[in-house]
Amino acid sequence: MVAVVAMFLGWYFVYIGLSAFARDFMARPVIGNINVALVFGVLQFVSTFLLAWYYSRYSRTWLDPLSAQLRTEAEWRQAEYERAAAEHRRTQVPGQAQRIARSQGRGERRLDPQWWGEKS
Amino acid sequence: MTGGGRSLTMVLFVLFILSTLAITFWARRNTRGADDFYAGGRAFSGAQNGVALAGDYMSAASFLGIAGIIALSGYDGFLYSIGFLVAWLLTLLFVELMRNAGRFTMADVLSYRAKKQGKVRTAAAISTVTVSVFYLLAQMVGAGALVSLLLGIHPGETFHGVSAASARTLTIVVVGVIMIFYVMFGGMKATTWVQIIKAVLLIGSTIVLTVLVLSRFGFNVSHMLGDAAEASAKPAGFLEPGGKYGKDVAGDTWQTVVNKLDFMSLALALVLGTAGLPHIVSRFFTVPDARAARTSVNWAIGLVGAFYLMTLALGFGAAALVGHKAISEQDPGGNTAALQLAYELGRHLGGSVGGDILLAFVGAVAFATILAVVSGLVLASSTSLAHDFFGHVLMLGRPRESQEVGFARFAAVLIGTFAIILAVVARNLNVAFLVALAFAMAASANLPAITLSLFWRRFTTTGAVAGIYGGLFGSFVLVVFSPVVSGKVDPVTGKSLSLFPAGIDFHWFPLENPGIVSIPFGFACAVAGTLLGKERPVQENYEELSVRSLTGIGAHRPPSRAARHRSA
Repeated sequence: MVAVVAMFLGWYFVYIGLSAFARDFMARPVIGNINVALVFGVLQFVSTFLLAWYYSRYSRTWLDPLSAQLRTEAEWRQAEYERAAAEHRRTQVPGQAQRIARSQGRGERRLDPQWWGEKS
Repeated sequence: MTGGGRSLTMVLFVLFILSTLAITFWARRNTRGADDFYAGGRAFSGAQNGVALAGDYMSAASFLGIAGIIALSGYDGFLYSIGFLVAWLLTLLFVELMRNAGRFTMADVLSYRAKKQGKVRTAAAISTVTVSVFYLLAQMVGAGALVSLLLGIHPGETFHGVSAASARTLTIVVVGVIMIFYVMFGGMKATTWVQIIKAVLLIGSTIVLTVLVLSRFGFNVSHMLGDAAEASAKPAGFLEPGGKYGKDVAGDTWQTVVNKLDFMSLALALVLGTAGLPHIVSRFFTVPDARAARTSVNWAIGLVGAFYLMTLALGFGAAALVGHKAISEQDPGGNTAALQLAYELGRHLGGSVGGDILLAFVGAVAFATILAVVSGLVLASSTSLAHDFFGHVLMLGRPRESQEVGFARFAAVLIGTFAIILAVVARNLNVAFLVALAFAMAASANLPAITLSLFWRRFTTTGAVAGIYGGLFGSFVLVVFSPVVSGKVDPVTGKSLSLFPAGIDFHWFPLENPGIVSIPFGFACAVAGTLLGKERPVQENYEELSVRSLTGIGAHRPPSRAARHRSA
């Protein structure tokens, strides 16, 4: 990710730097009236399109499945927790579950369903 | 433009307004809660939102402004286009993370890890409103100037009994009122549809103009460039960089260095600003999930890229077919170049009637462009004011949804009216620099806070607040003491090129664009605030934010109660 950012920002600033300091080079004609500056400018467009396409393909094949897997895992864990909590409520004296939760206090934070952003 | 052409422009523009108002009424009936008002019910598809993103981004400044700069100064206008486009790659990298981590605004992402939500949200709301109002001001003053140019009302003339000066004021007020109306009644749903219609109209008419221009040169680009250079004021360097930015001043090394730095500074602000523009960020939240958000940015990249490539044809076409003299006579800034080109192309096809028709159409599209962009800005700032400041600071995060949305509608009226008043006051000033300033502010204030809060484990509330205020005020102060505000005079005529008249000079900062100093300064403030502040970072919040931004678990909901508990 950092490499990608460095690459396109670097290429952009190479182009900007050439525009500012290497005017003779940029003015060199390529075909007819089309010069190096125009070709490089259009290449910036091409590289932007290519990078956007490449990044999207990369996320589709690598990042999306990974995030989907994490999400299912988290949802499964939450469902598991709720099942256990329901089981607990069913077998315990009313009010005891809350008392236990309170007494365990902040140590239980990670298993708290709140952690996944569930409204109570 | 003749009387018939003017009336045709008015008719087309009224048609656009009527159809968009109909959409606004439809949207009003379908807008119920905060999700609808702020995020259009998150029901837009990736493609729809992508077109709307492109619509939000392609302002009149880029349509008329870039074509004008290319037509008058040659190649350098293209540098703007490139900066505007490359910036989207950065946006592409941020979009999913922000879409997953936030609900409606940038502040949702920033305050996620904050111990003191209120402070971060206040800072983010201030920065959002400031950036939006500057950008708004540039667009609205531009609209006023455009109408007198477009309708060809010269000073002293009248059109339907309206003089040029009052036509300016009238346009600003009308544009302002319609924009308030869209936002207040239709919220994000209406604004998105306005953007989509406008983007389709704008890209469609640009394609038509480009094809017509190229057909005049037998689809030979080199031929067009040659003619453009010949018809320009300075044929020698017209097709090379250096006509407008980073000029070499013979014998004055200091001034040459300043010019080059200024150019680099502009380039930096353009490429880093987009990802922090409030009206772009608020559009990340109008789609169902992060994948759709990514799709929409891809669409935007395609459309914006195609559009900016075509501005090359418009600019060089105008230089070749209309000529330097005719363009600079109508407007020394070149903002009418695209319109004059449309007239010339139409005239070639169908005589003066053809010219009037094409000009009327392109003129109406330019109005639609301005109207759509300003409503996007008002929506973004009223969302931030209502959701961040009213909802989380004044009401401590416990307002009823209807209260918050009600306040958002009120905020739209408030910000809209404020912008109208400012624009009417500034209607005769040269405020084009405000667009670049808005980009510089977004890059210096918003970008450091967003980046560090997503990627830096140690980042704290103090850091975020320091980064936002530091970047915002840093860039503001640098601009106030720069040559765009005072002390820049035309060496030939002695007339002032700054905001203040000649004779008043209090500038000490040599660059016109603050970015190269203010962006690093914003980052430095954020880092310093984190390291020097007494606050300890909350590790769990960083981890929770990482998980959420990568997977989208629990998106659309406020940070969990556990997180809030820790923050309290």
